[in-house]
Amino acid sequence: MSATTAAVPFWRAAGMTYVGYSRLCASMVRSCLKEPYKSEAAEVEKVHYSRSKWSDGKQAKPTICEDDK
Amino acid sequence: MAMAMAALRREGRRVLLNTPSPAATMAALSRAASQSQIAPLGARSISTQIVRNRMKSVKNIQKITKAMKMVAASKLRAVQTRTENSRGLWQPFTALLGDAPSVNVKKNVIVAITSDKGLCGGINSTSVKVSKALQKMTSGPEKESKYVILGEKGKVQLIRDSRKHIEMTVSELQKNPINYTQVAVLADDILKNVEYDAIRVVFNKFQSVISFRPTLATILSPEVMEKESESGGKVGQLDSYEIEGGETKSEILQNLTEFQFSCVMYNAVLENACSELGARMSAMDSSSRNAGEMLDRLTLTYNRTRQASITTELTEIISGASALEG
Repeated sequence: MSATTAAVPFWRAAGMTYVGYSRLCASMVRSCLKEPYKSEAAEVEKVHYSRSKWSDGKQAKPTICEDDK
Repeated sequence: MAMAMAALRREGRRVLLNTPSPAATMAALSRAASQSQIAPLGARSISTQIVRNRMKSVKNIQKITKAMKMVAASKLRAVQTRTENSRGLWQPFTALLGDAPSVNVKKNVIVAITSDKGLCGGINSTSVKVSKALQKMTSGPEKESKYVILGEKGKVQLIRDSRKHIEMTVSELQKNPINYTQVAVLADDILKNVEYDAIRVVFNKFQSVISFRPTLATILSPEVMEKESESGGKVGQLDSYEIEGGETKSEILQNLTEFQFSCVMYNAVLENACSELGARMSAMDSSSRNAGEMLDRLTLTYNRTRQASITTELTEIISGASALEG
């Protein structure tokens, strides 16, 4: 990574990307909502996909990525 | 199908029009029976059982394709609104950073976006074709180009001849309705696990229910972006903006490109889902129509055969009666 200057943000130092950081922030804001808006907002946080890495033309075992909570 | 019908017609004519010797009839019938079980041994006229079964199955298929079309149409409406709204996410990025599809870098990653399900026309093979061409263009002696494939159908097609270049495959993305969080998690995953100088996202852009354009979006790594900005171009204008906070230009570029990637991915996944539904709708529409046409043809043949056998029976009765009289 190129941005290894003195003022590295703490989340970058922790190995997060901007996307991950902003997602976490958004999730924090959503969790501050009151019901019934909270469960409404929870709808847009659903994550589900299956991912597998490949090496040398061979597929590794797929891992299911779901909500990280 | 057409062959079976032709055979049926031929056999029908032979049995109905000729009044051959019993041996010949037996021969013809046993041939028919051994060939395609059209008529059981010793039957007088042709059996229409097969045609009736065929008609029933075609009718059922037509019902299924009609239902699939309705489902696709109703899903399309919701996805289309979301897609059109999501276009506002990448447009500012292109306005700010420009688009550089012709950039020449070492490590290329091609994100081919396809669907998990089939029966949706040619959108998946379009994605795959464009990705393959792009792979050829971007790989060379000192360059390499890897695939990240979204969707089962693209994976199946690319495994055949490019399995060496596949880096990662993702599927089941459309289990829930697509949302930004999901795509952000995925984009995060790709950013962390795949080394790149340039990511090229290939997807079908939704234009209308019958028209989808294979589209390419390029995201550069911060390093490459910085080099591009030094050589002028759109990115060079970034210096004219006043930036709050103590971040350096390279940090800002890194954040921007990462966010650009997740936004472009979100739009691309939605556009492709929308195109998939549109393509499925028109594919199912035409297959319902084809089933209808086939049904018409079958009905016509069925009725004709039925009428022919009735006519023959009548002729036999009348000629028998007149033979008795005369």
